[in-house]
Amino acid sequence: MKQIYLLLVLMTFASAHVFSQKMDVTGTVLSSDDNSPLPSATIYEKGTANTTITDVNGAYNISVENSQAVLVFSFVGYLEQEFTVGEKNAINVSLNPNVRDLDQAIVMGYGNQKRSKISGSVSTLDSKEITSIPILRTEQALQGRSAGVQVTQTSGQPGSAQSIRIRGTGSINNSEPLFVVDGIPSFGIDYLNPADIESMTILKDAASAAIYGARGGNGVVLVTTKKGAVNQPAQITYDTYYGMQEPWKKVALLNAEQYAIIMNESRASAGLNPDPALSNPSALGEGTDWQDAIFQRAPMISHSFSFSRGTENSSTALGASYFLQDGIIGGEKGRFERYTFRVNTTQSGGKKFRLGQNINYTYLSRSALTENNEFTSPVLRALNMDPVTPVYRPNGDYSYSSFIDSDIANPVNAIDNTFDNYTTNRIVASAYGEYDILKNLTFRSTFTFDLSLGSQNIFFPEFDLGVVPNDPNRPAYEWRETNSLVRIENKFSNWQWENIATYNKDFKTGDKLTVIAGYSALANKFENLSGSRDSLATNSIDQAYLDNSLNFAEQSPRSGGGIGESTFLSTFMRATYDLGEEFSFAGTIRRDGSSRFGTNNRYGIFPSISGAWNLTGKEFVKSNDKIDFLKVRASWGQNGNADGIGNYDYTALVVNGLNYTLGGDQQQTNGAGPIFTSNPDLRWETVQQTNLGVDADFFNGKINLVLDYFIKDTKDMLASVPIPGVVGLEPSATNVASARNSGVELYLNYRNNDREDFSYSVGGNISFIKNEVTDLGAGGQPISTGNVFGSGDFVSFTEIGMPIAYFYGYETNGIFQTNESAISNTSQPNAQAGDVIFVDQNGDGELDSDDKVMIGNPHPDFTYGFNFEAKYKNLDISLFLQGSKGNDLYNGIFRYDLNTTNLPISALERWTGEGSTNENPRISVSDPNQNNRVSDRFIEDGSYMRVKNLQLGYTLPKSVMEKIKLRKIRVYIAASNLFTFTKYSGLDPEIGSRGTLEIGIDRGFYPAARMFMGGLNVTF
Amino acid sequence: MNKLTTVFALLSLLIFSTCSKDFLEVEPLVGSTEVNYYQNGNDAEAAIIACYNPLQQEVTNIQGSGQLAPHFRWYFGDVCSDDSEKGGSGDGDEPELFQFENFNGTANSKIILAEWQVAYKAIAYCNIALDKIPEIDMDEDDKNRFLAEAKFIRAYNYYTLVTMFGGVPLITEALSPSEYQQPRASANEIWNLIQTDLIEARNDLPRRSSISVSQLGRATWGAATSLLAKAYAYQNNWGLTYDMAGEVVLSNEYFLDPNFSNIFTLAGENGSGSIFEIQYMNASGGNWGNQLEGTFTNIFQRARGNFNGFGFNIPKEGLVSEFENNDPRLSLSIFREGDVMGDRGVFTLEATGFSYNYYNRKYFSNNADDASFGDPAPNGPSNDRVIRLADVMLLYAEAAWHTGDNLTVRNMVNLVRERARGGNNSVLPDVNGQVMGDALLDRVYHERRVELAMEGHRFFDLVRQGRAGDILRAQGANFVDGVHEIFPIPAAEITLSGGDVTQNPGY
Repeated sequence: MKQIYLLLVLMTFASAHVFSQKMDVTGTVLSSDDNSPLPSATIYEKGTANTTITDVNGAYNISVENSQAVLVFSFVGYLEQEFTVGEKNAINVSLNPNVRDLDQAIVMGYGNQKRSKISGSVSTLDSKEITSIPILRTEQALQGRSAGVQVTQTSGQPGSAQSIRIRGTGSINNSEPLFVVDGIPSFGIDYLNPADIESMTILKDAASAAIYGARGGNGVVLVTTKKGAVNQPAQITYDTYYGMQEPWKKVALLNAEQYAIIMNESRASAGLNPDPALSNPSALGEGTDWQDAIFQRAPMISHSFSFSRGTENSSTALGASYFLQDGIIGGEKGRFERYTFRVNTTQSGGKKFRLGQNINYTYLSRSALTENNEFTSPVLRALNMDPVTPVYRPNGDYSYSSFIDSDIANPVNAIDNTFDNYTTNRIVASAYGEYDILKNLTFRSTFTFDLSLGSQNIFFPEFDLGVVPNDPNRPAYEWRETNSLVRIENKFSNWQWENIATYNKDFKTGDKLTVIAGYSALANKFENLSGSRDSLATNSIDQAYLDNSLNFAEQSPRSGGGIGESTFLSTFMRATYDLGEEFSFAGTIRRDGSSRFGTNNRYGIFPSISGAWNLTGKEFVKSNDKIDFLKVRASWGQNGNADGIGNYDYTALVVNGLNYTLGGDQQQTNGAGPIFTSNPDLRWETVQQTNLGVDADFFNGKINLVLDYFIKDTKDMLASVPIPGVVGLEPSATNVASARNSGVELYLNYRNNDREDFSYSVGGNISFIKNEVTDLGAGGQPISTGNVFGSGDFVSFTEIGMPIAYFYGYETNGIFQTNESAISNTSQPNAQAGDVIFVDQNGDGELDSDDKVMIGNPHPDFTYGFNFEAKYKNLDISLFLQGSKGNDLYNGIFRYDLNTTNLPISALERWTGEGSTNENPRISVSDPNQNNRVSDRFIEDGSYMRVKNLQLGYTLPKSVMEKIKLRKIRVYIAASNLFTFTKYSGLDPEIGSRGTLEIGIDRGFYPAARMFMGGLNVTF
Repeated sequence: MNKLTTVFALLSLLIFSTCSKDFLEVEPLVGSTEVNYYQNGNDAEAAIIACYNPLQQEVTNIQGSGQLAPHFRWYFGDVCSDDSEKGGSGDGDEPELFQFENFNGTANSKIILAEWQVAYKAIAYCNIALDKIPEIDMDEDDKNRFLAEAKFIRAYNYYTLVTMFGGVPLITEALSPSEYQQPRASANEIWNLIQTDLIEARNDLPRRSSISVSQLGRATWGAATSLLAKAYAYQNNWGLTYDMAGEVVLSNEYFLDPNFSNIFTLAGENGSGSIFEIQYMNASGGNWGNQLEGTFTNIFQRARGNFNGFGFNIPKEGLVSEFENNDPRLSLSIFREGDVMGDRGVFTLEATGFSYNYYNRKYFSNNADDASFGDPAPNGPSNDRVIRLADVMLLYAEAAWHTGDNLTVRNMVNLVRERARGGNNSVLPDVNGQVMGDALLDRVYHERRVELAMEGHRFFDLVRQGRAGDILRAQGANFVDGVHEIFPIPAAEITLSGGDVTQNPGY
């Protein structure tokens, strides 16, 4: 092969000599990312030794033999591009970053590794992917981007957390991954400005995450923030966008007339006369649309500024940002604001010594309305409030419902009277020193401090929706006699000290050994202080301060406060050995101890091993010119999941305050006892995972493929699960269960930048995960969770052999069409014609808990993401879809238990007589047959596909840039959640979990907004 | 190579030094742990007070749900009987109680779930006290008294459970995780535990006359003996009912307050005829979901409108007409239109905004006695009169009738009537010797109904007397004999027990 190449070269030289028509080509090489120049990029004439490199400004000049010459442009980390010179004397090239570059250093825990050598299963996101679409929180960047990573919103309210599942729901307890920001385990990453992030690495298999031991069991997300590079010229960027959000869907409900008809019928079926106010339905007309009343359009704004620069000996990166988002419910009452400021600096002190500091300050302010509960949330109330009641009475005051008493208050008034604001001031600062003890041996010591001060201010104004003073008809929720204020101050302070030694050895054989050994101590502390008072002088949030209380009674100011602490102590080691180019191996071991574990199980040991076989050098790959790269991987490892354990969960705390009043003069007397059950055996959950994978690149790297198969077993799962009331205490966490997640993940990407002015890429990922509970401990008692009040019972059930928290209830079989058929069914003694037929599964003539079956699965068959990006000249367009297929949702948005709430439009198709319908039962206020008990009637297909982002951008041409002396200006318009394709009847199908054992239950979910944005990126 | 070895040795020392094992020993700084708490007499007393605490919990969080559910004694004792109706602002106000009132209630109800959970919470604290206190080195008399109090409270809660649900899981010690799922014991087994606990408790509990004023409200010999009498009566064991009720009545520990009107005032709390009251006060703060030492009963039962209540537990016409002409107790038990409702004004239908003609007077509280701060709803002042002497006397009379001691029957009924007369000899004549047989029993039943009206006894009296079906069906309730004497087991508890707990027949 080599000889042929040489021959070709010689021949070219020979021929060139003959037809010599030399021409000069000049131009610049830029990064397509931000149009910044690429210094030292290589340009060579194909088939020749003719080579040059670009200067600091990316400019080059090369002489080629003739117009047939082909120039190849390359730069580390970017995709090569080829151009035939033709008649052009100037060729300006914009290189696209190669996100799958084999030599790219991937941030792993405690050190980097070349992509081509990695033997575990990891996904990466670079800064471009993170900021390519306007995201509200950093976690959102992971959604749909990486196979095996499922991100769902826990609420659409601004500032709400995202639930992240790496390779399925790994635990019935805590399934959120560990976030590590610049090497420091971090409680959440909502404090980060997405634009400050250089890269994110997701460690998916146990072998990759094993270096994080007892906390890596749910996978690890490593976040690296931007730093200045060595000798990098100063660069300043400014990014901004403005957006408008709006609701995109309403639930079809009864209007006032329909409501009256149904309610009258409902009362008649129980032998009651119609409510006089509803006796003439047709006079009521449309009535109130409570969804219109609570939803609104709301703005969002983002500004982000960055500076970076590097010299020979130091580097600096600065970032500052502001973000504001109002809620589509309540507007400012749901406002989220984030200010961030970050400084990352490095210095070198001589040849052997280096220093670095990262400092991040963040201010978050979140005003929030109650969300996702079935008692007081505005969404639930808007869906359940009767349409007869107007929002306002004629005099402009808010009105109350005469038909519903419990829970369902006027939501617009409730929003007006909600003042709940939480602010956070957080500083995360770390400093490290690194010293080369020997040529091959480096020692690094890092100290980090993370201080977060949270402050909550809740004001409860007095109000009264009564028509007259002391209006007897107003429901309890519609007046508050005395105003009050609650203030809570929280302080989270954590420190970590970590010492790591890294040894590198390159053998003459080409083999390479890296050993990392470390020791880490981590301490967390939480303190809080709270106080509340009532009878404030002014009924206004502006003067809501505790000292403004007029209530001077001795016992009146109530205060509380406490402290919680926990520690981790860990030692760890990893060795990687590369056997030539062909094989690489890695092994890790970590020993973790924690004060949170029970005294009987204080330390855990977590090993892993992995290997990769690079087949690129093998003949069958070499001889196939379509395959550029092929690697197979295998790994096995164990790690733990401990973050769901509370500080003192292993013991039962005896608390004071279980008081009783005694004596003629009524003295409160102290009582003391435990609130929770105790468990001295409490320990981490063990997660064991085996992974097999293939990485391949085809057609000059145009097609990249990553395929993984995994089996992930979680043992000794912890959870605070509801326990029978006979225990008498609240449940604490116990190591009760095992589960298995197994699945296949595929990532596939195609990019084409053959043409100078047009490039595009199409990519996608898909994950199939099967979830199964394999053990539930002694007795294997199933776990019931997810109490839904509209149905009056638990809807989620976790038992051996079934998916975690699957939906469990009665199967239905249509409607009793006649009283005769109802009476003949002995299992439902109270049924009449028009009632639901529940299936007596065991045929014992009784309908009881033995007859409950699986009625739905909240876990999707697969989740997927799809990306399309194209650039034509100065225009760019991108499309990002994301979806879930095959998951069920439990529709619990109607409070059937309250009998008189509004109902879905399907109530119009209720049973009204023999043969009228076999779907919807009669509606009866007394509901003797419990038609609304937990059953498949409330299970819906939760599959959806969402156009997460559609964006169109225009970059101003270089000629304009040169005139205004700016490097780059790009303007864009974008839409998020533009379309959602789903059959689900509720407000939003993208419903995450509440805790871990309540998956896909809709209790009036706060829907995600549709957003339209216009933005600007400027590079100075 | 030597240098390398040294470096590695140093590094190893730095990295793997198990710096201090103490680093992982983090003790809680707030509160003590179960292992180290129970050390002295004060700890023992706090453990006992914790047993009393759940007695006050009327509107409670359901475990794991965050939802509140009210579950008053009078929900079941009065509203489910022929004495009163639910009331409130309409049928949709406390809809589950509306269903139970008509005997359409279901196992999914939150109010029975709360009733169940709170009773077992009290039982759990009693079991902890009974387990821990014997090991404490402390005054032996105090120790025996504390243990007896725990037994009394445990028996009281099992009494609530067995009368509400029939046989329930029998829990007499703290459960380990593998023991959480417990099947139902038979009603007989529950009654046996109640009897054993009370027989032991009454031996060690102090007499009412021997406890100081500052200790009023704690369990006494009289409370345990009276509850034992009620337990025997519920099983129609009339011989033992007769013995136990007789002991209390003849003990010279309790005396009927000569003034009936005094009993249900704040001044009358823990009065001379009071045998067991759940203690409440209005000045501890507390709110919905965090009830401290006040009661919700006052606000729930007061009229709406000007009277700032929720208007529940409305006395029915049938109860009003049960009172004999000029029985002074009628106006002391029930507000009628035109009556003055304490310092809150005259009762008119306009002032309440509702067409209810009657309200319960026994748990009315004056505006002046509203909580001086905080939410008035959970801070009502009135103690819940659970057992008073007249109750035990009339039980004694009922037992005497069944055992053939007609003299005692008449004596007891007439003593109660004499007190009710309030010195006005033109009303409430004595039951004379001509009244015999069933007619005499009817006089006992009548006296019991009017004397104890609206105090949460009626439904359970009707059930144990075997009269519930006839009387409640006559009211139009959907009462099925053999079913509705007890309430359904909460569905959530059946689910959580893995089916070990079975549903009551008919639900």
